[in-house]
Amino acid sequence: MKALIIYCHPCAESFNAAILSTVVDALEHAGHESRVRDLYAEGFEPAMSAAERRTYHEEALNVQPVKEHVEDIAWADLLVFVYPTWWYGLPAMLKGWLDRVWLPHVTFSMPSETSGPRPKMQHIKAIAIVTTCGASWWLSKVVGEPGRKTILRGLRILCAPHCRTLYLAHYKMDTSTPQSRSRYLANVRKKLEKFTS
Amino acid sequence: MRILVLFSHPVETSFGAALHGQVVQSLQSAGHEVDDCDLYAEDFDPRLTRQERLHYHDPGVNRGPVAAYVDRLLNAEAMVIVTPVWNFGYPAILKGFFDRVFLPGVSFDMTRGKVMPCLHNIRKLSVVTTYGGTRLRAFLAGDPPRKIAMRILRATIRPAAPVLYHALYDMNRRSEEERHAFLTGVGKAMEVF
Repeated sequence: MKALIIYCHPCAESFNAAILSTVVDALEHAGHESRVRDLYAEGFEPAMSAAERRTYHEEALNVQPVKEHVEDIAWADLLVFVYPTWWYGLPAMLKGWLDRVWLPHVTFSMPSETSGPRPKMQHIKAIAIVTTCGASWWLSKVVGEPGRKTILRGLRILCAPHCRTLYLAHYKMDTSTPQSRSRYLANVRKKLEKFTS
Repeated sequence: MRILVLFSHPVETSFGAALHGQVVQSLQSAGHEVDDCDLYAEDFDPRLTRQERLHYHDPGVNRGPVAAYVDRLLNAEAMVIVTPVWNFGYPAILKGFFDRVFLPGVSFDMTRGKVMPCLHNIRKLSVVTTYGGTRLRAFLAGDPPRKIAMRILRATIRPAAPVLYHALYDMNRRSEEERHAFLTGVGKAMEVF
């Protein structure tokens, strides 16, 4: 598969960085091609500007400020998101990548009087999330996992009709141990290899 | 009441900006003291930095880079959020406000890995928002922005404080009259806030 890995964490020494290495390694080991987008490292600007919002609905023009990112999602058939869950959702940096890159005309057609929006990212066959949560599994469920839903439901609607999904999370990060973290990394490797085989 | 209005839309001629104007005007005419926080106009940077992450769990130090915003949040007695929904979530600039300003020691305390919400100065919360998708589509997606307001923010502010959610769905296919009716309804709701 052609995997686009979207990585979002400000600290190079973080556990999320270890997750990224594991993900890259697992995909390579399983024989997939991958590209990594490290949003903090490249200084991605998450706030959609007024100029972008004004040309948001204009075909061809709207992609100009984020051309390379749009090429990435056009190239990939697998998306892998690696990020910490903050406030039960995506870090602003990652949310901004969705806001600015998943544009109308390219990723979906606008709704008309007679029909709803139509997906245009049908070459994307699978989406995986590998994340960390401060909250417990139980609390995350009670809250309704907004971050997970933004991607695995909201974004998935724009992808292939039977787009497969994988969600992996290390819960209760603040009381994690070296053992729980290494067990999680081993699990990520195993699940991701199986998911992409 | 002292009310913090959090607004996020970059374009001053947008319907979002019209909602924002209406909210501020109606709250003021009802005699409230409004702290109008226009995140785009104030050029708020939504990115939690490396330094902020390293000091995240250190109350007292963690609020340094956003001290002015923390003061405004803690000084408020109520909050009104005015924002569009983009991609079934809040715009990055607003999400960044939660990431950077709703810190340990500000909106919650951490005790033995457990989160204890403590933004009890906020006695009432309203969200005024617009969706591109229909109500059904948002429901099928799990409506993440509604969950953030009705579950997370509700649990963060004073216990049992009222939370109201004013949403206009399917924005792109709404007529002038429908938009006007929503705007008027929001104005009325703010007058009796």
